[in-house]
Amino acid sequence: MSNGQSDPLLQVETTCGSLLYELQIIWDEVGEPDAERDRMLLELEQECLEVYRRKVDQANRCRAQIRQAIADSEAELAAICSAMGERPVHIRQSDQNPGSLKEELRAILPQIEEMRKRRCDRKNQFVEVLEQIQKLKNELSDSSGYISTTLVVDEFDLSLRKLEELQRELQALQKEKSERLKQVLDYLNTLNSLCLVLGMDFKQTVSEVHPSLGDPEGSKNISHDTIEQLAAAIQGLREIKIQRMQRLQDLAMSLLQLWNLMDTPIEEQQVFQKVTCNVAASENEIMEPNMLSVDIITFVETEVSRLEELKTSKMKELVLKKKLELEDICRKTHLIPETDSSLDIAIEAIESGAVDATCVLEQIELQIAKVKEEAFSRKDILDKVEKWMVACEEESWLEEYNRDENRYNAGRGAHLTLKRAEKARALVNKLPAIVDALASKTSSWENERGIEFTYDGVRLLSMLDEYNILRQEKEQERKRQRDQKKLQGQLLAEQEALYGSKPSPMKNQSAKKGPRLSCGGASNRRLSLGGAILQTPKPDMLHPPKSTPNTRHGKKNDRLSHDPTRDDGFQALSSGRRGLDIAGLPLKPHSFNPPNSRELESPMMRKPFSPISSTDSSKSNATNMLEDLNRKHNEMLQKTLTNNKTPFTTPSKTISTLDEENRTPKTMAIPLPSTPSTVTVPMLTATTPAPSAPESLEEIEYSFEERRAGFVVPKEHLKTVIQI
Amino acid sequence: MTAAPQSTGRELTGPPTDGISNLRFSNHSDNLLVSSWDKSVRLYDASANALRGEFMHGGAVLDCCFHDDSSGFTACADHTVRRLVFNYGREDILGRHDAPVRCVEYSYATGQVITGSWDKTLKCWDPRGASGQERSLIGTYTQPERVYSLSLVGNRLVVATAGRHVNVYDLRNMSQPEQRRESSLKYQTRCVRCYPNGTGYALSSVEGRVAMEFFDLSEAGQSKNYGTFATGGCDGYVNVWDGNNKKRLYQYPKYPTSIAALSFSRDGRLLAVASSYTYEEGDKPHEPDAIFVRSVNEVEVKPKPKVLPNPGT
Repeated sequence: MSNGQSDPLLQVETTCGSLLYELQIIWDEVGEPDAERDRMLLELEQECLEVYRRKVDQANRCRAQIRQAIADSEAELAAICSAMGERPVHIRQSDQNPGSLKEELRAILPQIEEMRKRRCDRKNQFVEVLEQIQKLKNELSDSSGYISTTLVVDEFDLSLRKLEELQRELQALQKEKSERLKQVLDYLNTLNSLCLVLGMDFKQTVSEVHPSLGDPEGSKNISHDTIEQLAAAIQGLREIKIQRMQRLQDLAMSLLQLWNLMDTPIEEQQVFQKVTCNVAASENEIMEPNMLSVDIITFVETEVSRLEELKTSKMKELVLKKKLELEDICRKTHLIPETDSSLDIAIEAIESGAVDATCVLEQIELQIAKVKEEAFSRKDILDKVEKWMVACEEESWLEEYNRDENRYNAGRGAHLTLKRAEKARALVNKLPAIVDALASKTSSWENERGIEFTYDGVRLLSMLDEYNILRQEKEQERKRQRDQKKLQGQLLAEQEALYGSKPSPMKNQSAKKGPRLSCGGASNRRLSLGGAILQTPKPDMLHPPKSTPNTRHGKKNDRLSHDPTRDDGFQALSSGRRGLDIAGLPLKPHSFNPPNSRELESPMMRKPFSPISSTDSSKSNATNMLEDLNRKHNEMLQKTLTNNKTPFTTPSKTISTLDEENRTPKTMAIPLPSTPSTVTVPMLTATTPAPSAPESLEEIEYSFEERRAGFVVPKEHLKTVIQI
Repeated sequence: MTAAPQSTGRELTGPPTDGISNLRFSNHSDNLLVSSWDKSVRLYDASANALRGEFMHGGAVLDCCFHDDSSGFTACADHTVRRLVFNYGREDILGRHDAPVRCVEYSYATGQVITGSWDKTLKCWDPRGASGQERSLIGTYTQPERVYSLSLVGNRLVVATAGRHVNVYDLRNMSQPEQRRESSLKYQTRCVRCYPNGTGYALSSVEGRVAMEFFDLSEAGQSKNYGTFATGGCDGYVNVWDGNNKKRLYQYPKYPTSIAALSFSRDGRLLAVASSYTYEEGDKPHEPDAIFVRSVNEVEVKPKPKVLPNPGT
């Protein structure tokens, strides 16, 4: 039994044997026939066989299943390997001792497990990469709301090659992203600097383009759309910047002009230095923060409009001031301000706002410059005119004095009067020479310029002519008077012999004053008026200057050694020098003078002489005008005469006054100190060469370039320059 | 640069085909602008010896100057004043004179272009003015004679004209000259150049003399440091002078023909020399026109130390 327990088959066999034996016993007892017994045994055998067969079938089926499982596993393994792009690791090695099927299955299962794990890992890698790609694609694609189709991993291709491919794609996308990001950052930087310059809120500007851009930390949207919008924003801002820059530069220009015009103090300018220094800057040069902000522009605008207002108010003031200055200069130089009335009109126009004050100002300034230049050229002639007038004054006094019957009566101050008379006689002797010199100088001046030399609107030459005619008339009258007196004397002597009485000759003399008055030129009357009032306001004295002392002609030659000679001598000297000077500069000998005195050599002096057009301006017109003008200028003239009295008597003073005017005319500086005796004879002849000399020297110099270019100075051009 | 130390410097390739009227270095680079009678304006890179650009005008170009490194101005015998933009090869006419324009200067102080012409005027231009004379012309100032030479320093402008006039202007007040002078030299003025320190100007005549003048006369007596300067003559020589001591410092070897123009580069290391016949003796056969760029040694331009009679003082 113990044996049977250890082996169930044995036990079964024993049980089968004992059961058969029990059956034998039962049958024996029952007495079953043998046939029945055999049949029963066969039945038993068959039933046993049936059971065996069933079990074998079952076992057979089980084996087939295992085989199937192995085959399936191997197929899966192969599939996985192929999907992962690896060589199939394990195909059944049939030649090797296979062992049982179950062993085989057991061996293959962990491999499958392993491969499945690997595949899973690989798949995860794919998913990861694909996810990143998808994310990048989303970021890069234009529509931000777009969500990609679900992730699909190709189960059948999980090879490393494919993975690498995907990773390359990923890298490409990452690169693109970084590029875009860089571009966006670049744009943002540009935008920032633009905003800074324009004084705009950078964050707000950027947020308008895309909300994500305003956040300095967070990720930026880098889609094409955004980049384009950024570029557009930059373009827009740049346009604004250029616009504003131009506006600012325009303003700065007007600022500069206004400053220049009004001599604005530096401190005031300093505030806008930043603005004005950018006047010529180009667009990308202006980088300073807030340089082009609206605030700055309005700030500058207000300043410009402030200055503009200031300017208009000041301008009128300035114009009036300048006008006064012009009038003052004209008065000093006995010029008639040409456009007086037109100026008044212009000023009225300014007041009504019809004309820009700057134009008028410029015009006045131009006139002032012109007048100054002219005044300068007239200077030495004017000085001579003053001398002449003083001499005339003395002449009239002397005449009056001579007429005084009691002049030799010794009284208080008689010796002073005597002395004065002595001096006056000497002066009067010089008068014709003065007049001649003045006339020749004036005519040479006129020739040189082709215009008339006017004195308070009257042509000086006609004044001089009249004076000369008057003098001659007086001379004749005097002669006649003398003859008559002689005749009367004879007559009287005869009468005396007859009647013994003697009528006064004075009656006749006074009667002859009448006609003299009528023929007197207006200019002379003016002179005499001035002279008379200066002296003593005796009503009789209005006429005397017209009568000239009869001694004048006789001593003419002596007198000539004075003023005119000096001038002429000097002219001869300068014209002589002219010949030496290739450049044709007449006043060169004084080159040792400091340069500021070189103004003397104004262009006027060197210009060729244009033909005298109509020097004989009708005297009648002149005198008609004179009547009016005289009245106006009488008062003024008196003043000038009083002023000029001193320079004449003390010549040294003239120089000093001239210096004050910053002119230092050499022509004056030399003649005054020179003694009359040294320079003598060549006077009237020497004055005339002036017009001819420069003409011959007027051969125009040309530079090498002008010669090469064949440039010729046009003739009309010369003329226009002269007329300036 | 070249083998022989006594050389004339490196000659630029592609020189103008006719007389050179002026050349100038840029203030920002070694670019060299050259104007010529062959109606061209050329831009060279002097250090690279390369022609960078060329503009053709309607007449001989008598002067040129830089605006900034990328643009410049020219004075043309066809009476026009032009602005050139080198990068784009663009040129605008800034305005016109009534006669050939002799000289042009750009004032950095005022941002104006100043031109002098044989029509006896000076004109100031605003280079930013849109094309059209009425927009760009700032002012016209009549001169006593044809303008021959201009020079600028700071706000001062010196104008030399025929007839040996010299007018000194203050650019801030152009209504009239600040000073009217006469050249102290006997003959026609050829050229005038201001001292960089702004105290005066040097003036040369056709005779070959150079006078040194001062704006403020009181400064003439003082020995101010106004450095050295170079002159070039029709004898083909370039001399370097010590103005303080009235001594010649250096004479460069003779160039083939007259020196038409000179220019130092911004740092003074290069000297451009235009060796080009200036028609001083009329139309005659002459050497070809050439531009030489030579490097300047310190020895050549540094004043020699003055020997003091008493070292103690």
